[in-house]
Amino acid sequence: MHEWSLAVALVGEAEAQARSRGAVRVHEVTVTVGTLTGIVPDLLARAYEVARQGSLLDGVPLRIIVEECRAFCPACGEEKRVEDILPICPDCGGTGLDIVKGEGIALTQMDLEVDHV
Amino acid sequence: MCEHCGCGLPPAGETHTHGSDTRVRVDLMQSLLDTNRAQAEENRRHLMDHRVYGVNIMSSPGAGKTTLLEAIVRQAKGRFRIGALEGDVATERDAERLRTLGIPVHSLTTGSTCHLDAKLVHAGLHVLPLDDIDLLFVENVGNLICPGLYDLGCHLNGVLLSVTEGDDKVAKYPQVFRFSQFLSITKVDLLPHVAFDPEQPEREARILKGDIRCHRTSAVSGEGVDALLEYLLRECEAAYGTASP
Repeated sequence: MHEWSLAVALVGEAEAQARSRGAVRVHEVTVTVGTLTGIVPDLLARAYEVARQGSLLDGVPLRIIVEECRAFCPACGEEKRVEDILPICPDCGGTGLDIVKGEGIALTQMDLEVDHV
Repeated sequence: MCEHCGCGLPPAGETHTHGSDTRVRVDLMQSLLDTNRAQAEENRRHLMDHRVYGVNIMSSPGAGKTTLLEAIVRQAKGRFRIGALEGDVATERDAERLRTLGIPVHSLTTGSTCHLDAKLVHAGLHVLPLDDIDLLFVENVGNLICPGLYDLGCHLNGVLLSVTEGDDKVAKYPQVFRFSQFLSITKVDLLPHVAFDPEQPEREARILKGDIRCHRTSAVSGEGVDALLEYLLRECEAAYGTASP
């Protein structure tokens, strides 16, 4: 259940970002999860509900964006959308693809309340 | 700086609303694995300073990580010095097994966490006598999923798959195989008794990672252990540019 470790990291990172921007309240947090990570969005959401307790993010909703995998196929010379969890080119069946997107997890947006604008 | 009011909040490139409310929307690209990655780089530097070559060993529970390490330690005896960090959710059992072979071992007990991370490994590095170690094995928690996201700061990541687990596991748990530089099919002495085609996981692992190195080992018969050891030594030599340490 690495979702738990990631939820803890998410809360810590979001708190740090909010404080560094002088936020008094956080309205929403958005995390983007690549399909190749194997992270289960539902589990991440549930882990987050526990991890946020007692932090600046207590009660703050989480939005999860699932990022599809895109990979460059050297044989075709172009970037493709890859739906299979094994990165095989959907057109030529080639392997050895370079993953462009979909193998990370990142805090990508925050809605903040600041005490001055 | 905000071009509407010059408030400096948020920094360039980000948008926020103005008017009666004080809500701002901030766009970020902050990887949640960055903190671990930075610590992992630090660990690698620390190992390099002490000329230690680190190998992270991952597998599901019971694939034979500790047993293979025992075989490797016996094989390496008198040729070079091995140390180990033993990751487990609970108990010191694996650490005790290796300790009886006379090598420096430190146990990393994770509690409820299902994988090692770079911070835990860092703590372990400060306990081990690194100047007395050439090759350091970091035995991860038995788990074929979560360890594949966490760089520990080792030089090599290796995954074991035992023949009793089934030959379909690579495609089912791809992350950890994509994360590894070598795969070892373990318990191959049992191949006559199980329906396991070693070529299938090897083929699928190469789809996930074109240059993954494949080994077949048996800690019981000793098959393939020396070849795996020789491979690790060659990698170690490539990293430190010396003859056998």
